[in-house]
Amino acid sequence: MHTYIFLLGILVMTYFMMMVKRLPALINGFRWQSLFLFLLTLLLAKREADGALYVVAGLIFLLKVVLVPYFLLRIVKRIKVNENLGFFMNPQLSLLSGLLLTYLSYLFTFKVMLLADRMQSVSFALSLCVTLMGLFIMIFRMKAVVQIVGLLVMENGLFLTAVTMCGGMPFIVELSTFLDIFISVIILGVFVYRINTLFTHIDVNKLDSLRG
Amino acid sequence: MHIFCIFAIPLLMMLGALGINNIRVLGRLNAFGYAVILGYAAFLAYTLKQPLVLFNFFYIDALSAFFLFVIALVTSAAALFSIEYIAKDLAAGAFSQKKAKGYYLLFNLFSLSMFFVPVVNNLGMVWVGIELTTLASAFLVGFYNNKASLEAAWKYIIICSVGIIFALFGTIIFYYTASHHAGINSLNWTDMAAGAKNLNANIVKIAFLFILVGYGTKAGLAPMHTWLPDAHSQAISPVSAMLSGVLLKTALYAILRFNVITNICVGSQYTSRLFILFGLISLGVACLFLLVQKHIKRFFAYSSIEHVGIISVGFGIGGSLGFYAALLHIFNHAVTKSLLFFAAADVVKKYKKDNMHIIKGVVNALPFTGIMLVLGMFAIAGMPPFSIFFSELLILIAGFSKGAYAVSSLLLLFIVVIFGAIIFHLSQILFGKKPQDMPVGREAASSKLAFIILMICMCVVGFRVPAFLHSLISLAAAVLMKV
Repeated sequence: MHTYIFLLGILVMTYFMMMVKRLPALINGFRWQSLFLFLLTLLLAKREADGALYVVAGLIFLLKVVLVPYFLLRIVKRIKVNENLGFFMNPQLSLLSGLLLTYLSYLFTFKVMLLADRMQSVSFALSLCVTLMGLFIMIFRMKAVVQIVGLLVMENGLFLTAVTMCGGMPFIVELSTFLDIFISVIILGVFVYRINTLFTHIDVNKLDSLRG
Repeated sequence: MHIFCIFAIPLLMMLGALGINNIRVLGRLNAFGYAVILGYAAFLAYTLKQPLVLFNFFYIDALSAFFLFVIALVTSAAALFSIEYIAKDLAAGAFSQKKAKGYYLLFNLFSLSMFFVPVVNNLGMVWVGIELTTLASAFLVGFYNNKASLEAAWKYIIICSVGIIFALFGTIIFYYTASHHAGINSLNWTDMAAGAKNLNANIVKIAFLFILVGYGTKAGLAPMHTWLPDAHSQAISPVSAMLSGVLLKTALYAILRFNVITNICVGSQYTSRLFILFGLISLGVACLFLLVQKHIKRFFAYSSIEHVGIISVGFGIGGSLGFYAALLHIFNHAVTKSLLFFAAADVVKKYKKDNMHIIKGVVNALPFTGIMLVLGMFAIAGMPPFSIFFSELLILIAGFSKGAYAVSSLLLLFIVVIFGAIIFHLSQILFGKKPQDMPVGREAASSKLAFIILMICMCVVGFRVPAFLHSLISLAAAVLMKV
């Protein structure tokens, strides 16, 4: 039962992130989503009495709930940029697209994947749609920081798959992926600073000098 | 144990980059280190009879050894070429000395991550290695820190990260079916290939699609190629050669590992069709852009997309000849394209321009590099007696003899059109007089050595594949044929 509540929490937070208009709200949405992912992992770790999963849950909490959102909020504060996300598609239409993506993931899972277990099908559909919505956020918003958050949302969707369907990946892989993600967020952050210094904005839609 | 030397040397060189202040000395030391690595990689490939397993973590078979050898060859040529390139840029004030040291640090980190990919057994760690190659090379793409290079670096890291997330998604789905349907609780390639028959065919097909799109982004397959021309053209030139020569190939390597598992599970027709589809799309896209592209490094970048497409079609055609030819083409393309990027680097530095239709009289202005550029362009277009002609011919033979007439004819058509495009642009560079006031340039011995090594590889393989390379590629093709 708790599993469904946490899954629902992740989904609702993703919809929330499709709707928000300002950067801090988006980052906080990501924090809440990660918190639900953390709770879900903790629940599964307890159920399966799996030590490695406890560590994974701890890492999710440390990295995705505490460190990464803190780091991103700091960037937003430091570069003093206009906090609006810059929409290519307004929030209402984005939410509708999010619902459509959810439905498509549902169709894909139940008509194409054909998993035997119902619970697993639900969580697969959910993680697929979270991943796709992360991609959607990356594509349809202008600010560079939003693209980092979108990437992280996609990764959350991925971890959701790994945790709910396979009970986590082999431990060393899980650990290295966390490390990788953390490094990539830091590197992307450095690039955001550089872009801001050089271009005096972080609107990725205006990075269009290279073509053809 | 040689594998540890291959890892240890870049690590030592990173320490060197932190400690040594004379950039030229640092560059020479670096080049020497990579020569040793190349020796180790060649020795490893030469002596490898049985797959080598270390700690159940490293797994080195002929396919790994082949990729390791290609990576070692291109990185050592790039290290050799870097000596003068970096020293000259430093002297011209393009960046500070601290930054030049940073270059060697990142160079080693980048090549270390590439060496890591083909030798690990765990497919999750392969993913980690490929993600690390992106992270390590992002700063090298944005090295000059101007607007264009930052834009390219941002696109590079974002698009490749998205691609690679889909690849991890595919990996997780593979792991799911392995643990649920075949009872394999590891991501080791050896275990998964051994139990591949028990995987769920339907799920494997979906997972492979994710893998192909995901790693295909990094490999430069169209339509996921959009980061590639920007990153290749803006990266610092020795790194452009590494990006095009071997980075794309490490992503292809990852696809090939999954390809083996998928083929055992669902038969080879499924993957073969996908490879051919993406390969032909890449060829078509590259063909259009090559006809109109004037920026010299972007031109070579699109040519890389073309060759990745050819390689992909080769894998799609399959069979022992198809795999052999595609692997040989990987080697040939790596060598030839590195040479071209080096030559383009020298030319752009000399002329301070990158439009091929304005650069005139290259052979007069830079006698050595100019000739290398011209020969290299003939080679990349597929002229005999260079090696690219030979492997393209082999792929076509494999295609026609397997009865894939439509695919092979399309491939031939694209190759012919691109040949015309390359010769057209080449004629612009080749003819015409060099600007009056431009002095004749001379290259340093180390750069010349890099060119000569690559040129020898191109010519020798064009006449006859050396016995060493032949047996290595045949064994690697046998790994891919495993059913």
